[in-house]
Amino acid sequence: MKRLIRLTVNEKDYEIAVRPNQTLADLIREEIGLTGTKKGCEVGECGTCTVILDGKPVNSCLVLAAQADGRTVLTIEGLETDEGLHPIQQAFVDKGAIQCGFCTPGMILSAKNLLDRNPGADEKEIRTAISGNLCRCTGYQKIVEAIASVKDPGSPS
Amino acid sequence: MLLPEFEFHEPTTLSAACEIMAALREKARPLAGGTDLVVNMKKKQIRPDHVVSLSKIDDLRGIVQENGLLKIGACVTAADLAASEVIRKSLSALAEAAGVLGSPLIRNLATIAGNLVTARPAADLPPPLIAYGARAVLTKRSGERSVDLNDFFIGPGETLMAPDEILTKVVIEAPRGRHGDSYIKLGVRQTLEISLVNLAACISFEDPGGTIADARVVLGSVGPIPIRARSAEDILKGELPSEALFERAGEAARRDARPIDDFRGSAEYRRDMVGVLTRRALKTAFNRATSR
Amino acid sequence: MSEYDVINTRAARLDAPDKATGRAKYIDDMRMPGMLFGALLQSPLPHARILSMDTSGAKRLTGVKAVVTAEDAGMTRYGVSPARYDENLFCKDKVRYVGDEIAAVAAVDLETALEAVSLIKVEYEELPAVFTPEEAMAEGAPLIHEGFSRNLCAEVHQEFGDVEAAFKECALIRTDTFRNKRQDAAFLEPNGCLADFDHSGHLTLYTSTQVPHYVQRTVSMVLGLPLGKVRVVKPYVGGGFGPKAAANPMELAASLLSMKTGKPVKMNYEREHVFLFSRARHQFTHVLTTGVKKDGSLMALKNECYLEGGAYASFGIATVYYAGSLLGAPYKLPNMKYDGYRVYTNRPACGAQRGHGGVAARAAWEQQLDAIAEELGMDPIDLRLKNMMSAGDVTCNDLNMSSLGMKECLEAVRDASNWKEKKGRMPKGKGIGMACGFFVSGAGYPIYRSETYHSTVTMKLSEDGGTAHVYTGAAEIGQGSDTTIAMIAAEALGVPLSDISLSSGDTEFGVDLGAYSSRQTLMTGHAAKMAAEDVKQQVLAVLSETLQVPVAEMDVKRGRIVFKNGKPDFEVIRARYKKEHRGWRDQPSGDDLTFREAARMAYLAKGTIVGTGKYKPEKLGGRFKGAAVGTSPAYGCSAQVVQVSVDMETGKVTVDRMTDAHDCGFAINRTSVEAQMEGSLSMGLGEAMFEEVKFDGKGRILNANLGEYKIATSLDMPPVDTIIVESNEPNGPFGAKEVGEGAIMPTIPAILNAVYDATGVRIWELPLSPERVYLALKKKKNKR
Repeated sequence: MKRLIRLTVNEKDYEIAVRPNQTLADLIREEIGLTGTKKGCEVGECGTCTVILDGKPVNSCLVLAAQADGRTVLTIEGLETDEGLHPIQQAFVDKGAIQCGFCTPGMILSAKNLLDRNPGADEKEIRTAISGNLCRCTGYQKIVEAIASVKDPGSPS
Repeated sequence: MLLPEFEFHEPTTLSAACEIMAALREKARPLAGGTDLVVNMKKKQIRPDHVVSLSKIDDLRGIVQENGLLKIGACVTAADLAASEVIRKSLSALAEAAGVLGSPLIRNLATIAGNLVTARPAADLPPPLIAYGARAVLTKRSGERSVDLNDFFIGPGETLMAPDEILTKVVIEAPRGRHGDSYIKLGVRQTLEISLVNLAACISFEDPGGTIADARVVLGSVGPIPIRARSAEDILKGELPSEALFERAGEAARRDARPIDDFRGSAEYRRDMVGVLTRRALKTAFNRATSR
Repeated sequence: MSEYDVINTRAARLDAPDKATGRAKYIDDMRMPGMLFGALLQSPLPHARILSMDTSGAKRLTGVKAVVTAEDAGMTRYGVSPARYDENLFCKDKVRYVGDEIAAVAAVDLETALEAVSLIKVEYEELPAVFTPEEAMAEGAPLIHEGFSRNLCAEVHQEFGDVEAAFKECALIRTDTFRNKRQDAAFLEPNGCLADFDHSGHLTLYTSTQVPHYVQRTVSMVLGLPLGKVRVVKPYVGGGFGPKAAANPMELAASLLSMKTGKPVKMNYEREHVFLFSRARHQFTHVLTTGVKKDGSLMALKNECYLEGGAYASFGIATVYYAGSLLGAPYKLPNMKYDGYRVYTNRPACGAQRGHGGVAARAAWEQQLDAIAEELGMDPIDLRLKNMMSAGDVTCNDLNMSSLGMKECLEAVRDASNWKEKKGRMPKGKGIGMACGFFVSGAGYPIYRSETYHSTVTMKLSEDGGTAHVYTGAAEIGQGSDTTIAMIAAEALGVPLSDISLSSGDTEFGVDLGAYSSRQTLMTGHAAKMAAEDVKQQVLAVLSETLQVPVAEMDVKRGRIVFKNGKPDFEVIRARYKKEHRGWRDQPSGDDLTFREAARMAYLAKGTIVGTGKYKPEKLGGRFKGAAVGTSPAYGCSAQVVQVSVDMETGKVTVDRMTDAHDCGFAINRTSVEAQMEGSLSMGLGEAMFEEVKFDGKGRILNANLGEYKIATSLDMPPVDTIIVESNEPNGPFGAKEVGEGAIMPTIPAILNAVYDATGVRIWELPLSPERVYLALKKKKNKR
């Protein structure tokens, strides 16, 4: 039986009837229509489904949609502002940190969470923060350079 | 990957949760972080008719220190454990273990209770918790009991919990006096690993420069349940710490281990690594004890 | 001061902002009204006869719209090499591996489709199965494919020169056996497709592919649809690396289901299916015998290789050739003998993966060369330099190194890594190692025998506005080809990159063989350059008429017309343009005639200006059997130095630093070249250290997930230094050639050689798991 949940996604409030066996990843992609959150493995091993849930980056494929009731979600689509790309997004573009792009949304969100907590993060801290986000294209080199280059990480969420 | 169908319950109080578990028993599974349950449901290894989410029960969160006891709520996440000042200070091996569990993303979901009740032989938190003599509080409608984690595990995926019980708290007496703790995890990669071998070592001293008063060495991934390396502990107690002593303790721990061959690695390798890593963990623990 | 305006820069990639913001649509992000969901029935057994199949239960299930089997699909065979088409869409008589496709269902939602699949009743008669080349080739082994005795899918026997005679002149001859393991490409985006068969009988197949062109041909052939009614469109793709370089059964099944139902049909592989499908790197067992003279001159190489191929041929014919041919360079090697055997087994089929056939061979040989250097008392870099080929040299197997910056690469990494200070001076447990490698810049021949162009590109100038639309069938799969092709087009036309809009990956845009064998920069690049020059010439021709200036005295640069012998008066042109654009605020001004104005002129004079370009390599290679494989218009090459630390008590290896220099001819986009090098290194590191597809005794994969199939994480990859070497390839557009696969070649052997340097132990089997290294160390210790 479906249950009605209320959640905030990218600062917009939603009221949605969800099935118990629906994941947050599917809720975001199917019901809300934000497909920037990806599904690479669906069992929490690749990080492409990363969203920020109540301020913490998590694998949305492991969270039941119903468990998101009353909570706040930030997806990659929520980073852009009217002024343009978020500084981290811009850094990824400028530093060539994006190749196939499938890991990128999750990677950027993990990076954002790191820089919100620890704006002066060093290389080890950067690599640790993104260690749950797999990338097969870049070898992580330019991703780490991009994250390290962000001086003003914008406002935390 | 689809999840099977089930009914979802979201009690907001512990007593409501206990009522549900009392009524449904084996038909229901409590859900905290989902990093084990949701994965196994997707793999069709488990198909509970009911899932009882514990996320809205405030009583299950928080780390409280009172009267020399540390009380950790069931739903405290691995990330919270790794970051907690009080855990890092008083139960450093637990903080270390929590900090290498899974990945940073998993750590934001995985809970202390989940890592215990799922009883995976390679789980990260049981060895340090057992080394600290932790107890688990199991609650059901009719009351609660406290069990020593030494006795908690029965086999892979099996604990002594009754079908209507919920693990609500982990209680640990913080080590006092001069002591040092260490956790080591050996995997293939640097992260996202199920251990080949993992272990926790805690040693304590009465006087500085004196003999070892108490020692706990707990091995993971080398038996169906976490193993207290009692032979190693017996060798250590009452002795003056030294490289040679730690080496002997490592050899003894090797004998205590009961590894198997599996697709991750051979029993022989795991056994050898128990010896090496026990020695290293003891040395680290000793260094930490003396630097306090 | 660069002579170029657009290329050789660090232009930001055109697709990066969409990918950074979540706007980029991959196949699973696509929806269509009325869309059905498909699911496959796959064999649970490694080898079995199909005795009967009953789909009635599935057909009866509410919500099921179609169930298809071999009856519906027909038995037209397909595969990769036409000489070895050994696949049917659905098995009819027997299944050959766990995962072999038997049927497919389309239903209103995925749950229903999966349930329907579970209701299909199949009766199997299990047959004995074989899982290794030894088992498969043994006397009395069950035959997986009729007509292939001893399960030999393909055999190659080649000899160049006279190896035995050469060995007689050698002071040192060494034989080593090396084995890698089956890999998985582990692209982050699982394969998926959306097939849409419309009311006019047109099929549009959206799919996550590297090769729209080959997929189009396969779908047309297998399903009996006229080629002109099949369109394949590639959305954004989340990585390919080889397994997406051929049509897969899911694409065919979805297309068939769409034809049957008249509705769009979506299908995806889950991560487990990606592993079951495989078409990834083979397991190779190489026995290499190398002979050298006392001074280190390479005389002869004997290479015997067995490939464990899995149940179907896929790319395997090319693979078994590459496993030999790709050792022909970059060293002068006068005599080479190769015997290669690709063996069928009851496991998922292997195919092409980054470095195609050359990676294991290179790993084996470069470690052996290191051992030979040590026996001769030579520095391993000196041994390589001594034998190095030069640009213009031809290998014993007829591969022409039209440009070869191998020496420059080697010297660059030697110096950048401080090799001379470190080699032989590192403490126990720390080591430094090096290796070289090279790869083709596009296969010299298409996969099917044909005179076809390998690439065609169309450039259409906008009738107004001065922008150029480039249409190409080339596949952007993450490597950056869209941006690279756009940059080449912009440079050749003479306009800024922002004046190019590029559309790609659609068979309607032309023929392009796609993203495999590292071909697009060179081949699609040539065609794009040609199309742009065609457009430029057409515009200048019109301008020439109007201004009475010869075309040869004009050019387009940075969006302006450049006159070699003094600027003519172009007021008339400008005035007319401004009149046409009254009200605009960005009217052309200044001393230069803009391309925008000239382009508008050209339209007014001639109508829509369209330029076309095409490319195919000239006839390459020798005349011996299999000569085609390995041929290429150009070869990229890489040298690498790696530093490792080894925990001598646990065997755990940590790669501390990697330095790679790659000769890409000429870097069209410098950032993209570095990025491809870095990615190659991480795949090589993963294969060297962690990656291995593991099976149980029943042909089932034990680790069909990204937790237990371990690719490098951010904590496993060290910082990487990349150095671009530019040798200016005469056969490449603006001198450019490949980078996508060359840099993976030296990675594994550089790590192996570094591990030897650190531990004194040579390991001849991958991966370097802690246990493998530990046991090797233990064995060495016990020998003393």
